[in-house]
Amino acid sequence: MIKFENVSKIYSGNFVALENIDLVIESGEFVSIVGQSGVGKSTLLKLISAEEQPTEGRVYFNERPLDVIKKKHLPYFRRNIGTVFQDFKLLPQKTVFENVAYALEVAGETNEEIAEKVPEILDIVGMSNKMEKYPHQLSGGEKQKVSLARALVHNPQVILADEPSGNLDPVSTWEIMQLLLKINSLGTTVILATHNKEIVDKIAKRVISMEFGKVARDEVKGKYII
Amino acid sequence: MKWLKLVRTFNEGCVNFYRNGWLTFATVSILATSLFIISITIMLGFTANLIIANLQDKINVSVYFNSSVTEERVMEIKDKLSQYDEVKSVDYVSKEKALEELLGLSSNAETINKALEEIGENPLPASIVIRANDPGQYEKIAESVNNSFFKDDISSVNYAENKKVIDRLTGIILMSREVGTIFGLVFVFVSILITFNAIRITMYSHRQEFEVMRLVGASNLYIRMPFVFEGILYGFVAGIVVMILLFVASYFISPLTDGNIPQGNLLKVYFSNFFLIIGGLIAGGVLLGVISSFIAIRRYLKI
Repeated sequence: MIKFENVSKIYSGNFVALENIDLVIESGEFVSIVGQSGVGKSTLLKLISAEEQPTEGRVYFNERPLDVIKKKHLPYFRRNIGTVFQDFKLLPQKTVFENVAYALEVAGETNEEIAEKVPEILDIVGMSNKMEKYPHQLSGGEKQKVSLARALVHNPQVILADEPSGNLDPVSTWEIMQLLLKINSLGTTVILATHNKEIVDKIAKRVISMEFGKVARDEVKGKYII
Repeated sequence: MKWLKLVRTFNEGCVNFYRNGWLTFATVSILATSLFIISITIMLGFTANLIIANLQDKINVSVYFNSSVTEERVMEIKDKLSQYDEVKSVDYVSKEKALEELLGLSSNAETINKALEEIGENPLPASIVIRANDPGQYEKIAESVNNSFFKDDISSVNYAENKKVIDRLTGIILMSREVGTIFGLVFVFVSILITFNAIRITMYSHRQEFEVMRLVGASNLYIRMPFVFEGILYGFVAGIVVMILLFVASYFISPLTDGNIPQGNLLKVYFSNFFLIIGGLIAGGVLLGVISSFIAIRRYLKI
């Protein structure tokens, strides 16, 4: 489903973020990408969502190379992907309901569909009782649940989660992980970038360990090893 | 689908407008201040021009004829003068009319009437009143009248007496036009810059949201439209606010213009051009708001 073919990413100032990455992620997989800060985890995710383009090599999504997608078609491509961030990135002026609805509005879904789908997904993440609240009225864990609901509501094929537990307490972290596992069990591919050892070990799914912009280990039932 | 998105982005713009509270207030205030400065500049310039035109109309050169000159001869001279390029108008004031005017102006008409009875005839000379297109041309006109084919029919030309006043007025008129234009342009330019910057700051405060919007699959147009609508709203509200401010300003300036402009006073000018002013203000505000938002948001939509 997602394939990296000899991908390197060099930022300005000759900073090598990724070097010769070859990687295949199949549909329905749950993949944890681990490693210290700055080893290129986030860059890897940004290449999948076409926020960044590789300096060398190619990234494929459903066998289609991402570099050939025209700029104006990128929004349509991104609707295949749901993204969750460490800092939630909710829209501060919108309520919980509106934040989640936004992902459907931009795709042109009807008001009826939105009125149906948004409460449904908020119910799944356990936030249906706070639909009218604004982000600043929520705790970190709650914000991340809303962010997850937004990422999920348009039924993406892949969820990219970049340090989703970075700002959360252990209980909230575990709640989010359970949700990710549940989503994965329903068929959505999940790619999780994290340096939370405990979580990775507990999940016991495929682990890709990165060091200095390269893949150091790739284990089907892995553990976090530094 | 397109309609749905248009309605959605419009609603979004309206919601942003009232939820942003203080930011909206600040942006509208700055936009309104700019518009106000621009329109006050235009209004003062316009009024000054009216007053100047009015003054210019009051400047004239009167040519008085000898009492022996017939009315036919005066009419012939009048027609000749009307053909000069520099001359805007020539009016004939007959002996009778001159007397009428004198009686109308004077407070002791009775004494004058008695004196006239004593004399037995109207002693006032017939005259023509010449107005020039440009106040700088009076000297030339007076000169050519003095050297004309009818110079022997003339008893006096009052140009020399009025010369000082005319020269001073001409100076003031030319000066105030130049200064007014320069100041006006500077004010307008600065106002546009300030508005543009204010809206850029508004957009800057939204920059992280643009990133999020892009990542959940919003097209650039879909991200941009609410801000364009917001810009329209800023302009619209600012236009209305300035409309009211202008009314207040005209109300207070108006007494100063009483009788000095052809329309009567400034307030009358305001009301007779009401729709032009409100249309211009809203169009100006909306244009300023939309163009500024459109340019300001561009840099955040590059990826």
